[in-house]
Amino acid sequence: MIRGVDLQLASCHGCELVIRMRDVDHDAIAVCPRCGAPVRFRKRNASSHVLALVVAAAALYFPANALTIMYTEQFPERRADTILSGVKFLWGRGSWALAAIVFTASILVPVLKLGALGFLVISTIRHSAWRPRARTRLYRALEVVGHWSMLDVFVVALLTAVVQLGQFARVSPGPAVLPFAGVVLLTMLASASFDARAIWDLDRGSGRGGYE
Amino acid sequence: MRARSGTWTEDLAAVGMSDPVDPRLEDLPVPVSRRRKRGWPSAVWIVPVLAVVAAGALAIRAYLEAGPTIEITFDSAEGLEVGKSDVRYKNVPVGKISSVELVPDQPRILVTVKLERGAASLAVKDSRFWVERPRIGVGGVSGVGTLLSGAYIGVDRGTSKEQVDQFVGLEKPPGLTHDQVGRRFRITAADAGSLGVQSPVYLRRQQVGWISELALSPDGKRVDIEVFVNAPYDRDVTDTAVFWNASGLDVSIDASGLRLDTQSLATVVAGGIALGFRDGDPPGRPAAEGAQFNLFEDRAHALARPDRTRLPLAMRFHEPLRGVGPGTQIDFEGVRIGQIDTLNLGYDAIRHQFFSDVDATVYPERLGAAYAALVDEGKRRDKAGPEMLQALVARGLRAQLRSASLITGQLFIALRWFPNARSAAPVVERDGVWVVPTERGGTDQIQDQVESIVAKIDRIPFDAIGGDTRDAMHAATSLLGHLDRDVVPTAQQLVGQAGAAMTALRDSLGALRDNVAAPDSAIQQTARSTLEQLESAARSLRGLADYLQHHPESILRGRASGSEPR
Repeated sequence: MIRGVDLQLASCHGCELVIRMRDVDHDAIAVCPRCGAPVRFRKRNASSHVLALVVAAAALYFPANALTIMYTEQFPERRADTILSGVKFLWGRGSWALAAIVFTASILVPVLKLGALGFLVISTIRHSAWRPRARTRLYRALEVVGHWSMLDVFVVALLTAVVQLGQFARVSPGPAVLPFAGVVLLTMLASASFDARAIWDLDRGSGRGGYE
Repeated sequence: MRARSGTWTEDLAAVGMSDPVDPRLEDLPVPVSRRRKRGWPSAVWIVPVLAVVAAGALAIRAYLEAGPTIEITFDSAEGLEVGKSDVRYKNVPVGKISSVELVPDQPRILVTVKLERGAASLAVKDSRFWVERPRIGVGGVSGVGTLLSGAYIGVDRGTSKEQVDQFVGLEKPPGLTHDQVGRRFRITAADAGSLGVQSPVYLRRQQVGWISELALSPDGKRVDIEVFVNAPYDRDVTDTAVFWNASGLDVSIDASGLRLDTQSLATVVAGGIALGFRDGDPPGRPAAEGAQFNLFEDRAHALARPDRTRLPLAMRFHEPLRGVGPGTQIDFEGVRIGQIDTLNLGYDAIRHQFFSDVDATVYPERLGAAYAALVDEGKRRDKAGPEMLQALVARGLRAQLRSASLITGQLFIALRWFPNARSAAPVVERDGVWVVPTERGGTDQIQDQVESIVAKIDRIPFDAIGGDTRDAMHAATSLLGHLDRDVVPTAQQLVGQAGAAMTALRDSLGALRDNVAAPDSAIQQTARSTLEQLESAARSLRGLADYLQHHPESILRGRASGSEPR
């Protein structure tokens, strides 16, 4: 399969203009003649970026789940819930659907997202030839699901704002909210940084293969 | 790795550009060259470093915040729930209960508590833990909040530095917690009355502390009480302070009448200890922590001046002493100088008489200046105490049972003067006790008089009087019958005769009226002429009198010519 890069063709990331990459000095960078954005064959250092963000998100994933995400004071009781204990609480109260939603959105999706991104970026770095088409689809799926991963943060923010009944009921965010938001944000950035085209750089010759 | 690599020309080289390209591609736009700015190493790896640092910091903080885990055993874990009940110090949550389980081989409950980091200082050797539940005690209601919030474990922070992680929980909140500033004092009492832990301690009816502990002494003969007095009032407790039981209503009826005393309404129900000072005592120094005091049974006993000189006296009464007993006052000239200690009934086998032996204690210092004067006199005359007493008895001093109040029937023993008393019996000493002679009591005399009055009334022959009265009534009845029978007919005759006499009398009176009262009767005529003459005579006399008034000299000179009497 012939690629754009094989024909010295690149597309501008800003305006999608197809450009023939020539007559650029060694010490210069290529800039799109239409929109002025830097033009490259591939996103610069994409794999490295993605890997860094995935590692960071993974690091924050632990405090996000271990710490309290929400304090609920419902007189006379005061609860401090982590995400998992909240799911357990909902499950125990019989709100199975709600528990499943929260579990999926807050625990499962971030884990799957981190795992998938990690898999994608590592396989890309290694120029793995393993089912590039499936990997591309996986990436597309990640992009779709990622929109929903801030659910928990929104729930906490909403409850905190709405449930302020003085002494009787009060919801306040716990220390896990920031790491959790960090996880979501970093995974979103990581998936945005990922260059799906790199999946197809199945360079068998140079061992470098990057077209960044 | 390839962060700095970089220009697209290298990339091209990497691709291994060789084949001739489609000429149409020549028409595609070409990029503009721009000078490469100085490249920075990719900063993206700072993000994971920061994330790891942040996560690590959170983890370390969580680890540090997880304070020590301690184990407490309780007799009952009623109301404690895992994950819900907490441990509170001064009502601030400092830990959570992580498990409640049975202690093997013991009827106790083991509660595992995860303390917060900041509360690690609570896990020291002399800290005390108890389950806070609603309690209703004499001192009030406590732990009402736990009705809604559920039971929790209360903790009192110890002062020890030694960290331990196993505790034995108390079943009740401790009476005194370590953080309270003040002093503890020990009080020995004969009995606990209605006192209990938490009963208040009052100074001038203001609560200054409470009973922190109350227990029988080891030998079971006394009650050891520990009171805690709050700062700054603890400095008011000096070594001259006295404590008395202020529980309930102190109702006393004695020779001085009825008295009712209480510290506050609360002490009526809950009991309490009052603290005060005797008048005239030196201010004293603040008592040391743990100083020992005695608990007096009431205010009067506590505030009475301590009597240094005790003079035991004995008295023998040959009269019934009903209403007299230990504690009965001894009065001298109106001063309450002592009280009866014991009372024994004795029998005199020679005279076949019963008598009462009374042992009493007299505190002569209560006489004040009089006692000082007596002592002075004794010194001057070189007489010792018993001789002085002998002298007083020789002057007629006797003990006498008297009634303080006829209404309450309260009795007391008075030391009184009987100048005409029988010859003074010598004061004898019996087992170091001085025996004072006695006189029959005032009460007894009153009783005797009343008895003699009753006896006199008793002697009046009411039966005989009744019989006589009945005879007299009989006589009267027969007299009336006699009158009815004999006198009435005679009386009727008399009435008839009286009627005739009245008729005759009326006739006579009619004749008399005719003779005297008719206008033309001779008596009337004569009388009228006489009166007329009398009238003219009176007129002449008046003329004469007038003349004499105007011409008094005429008595001597005769009537002047030409002047007629008017």
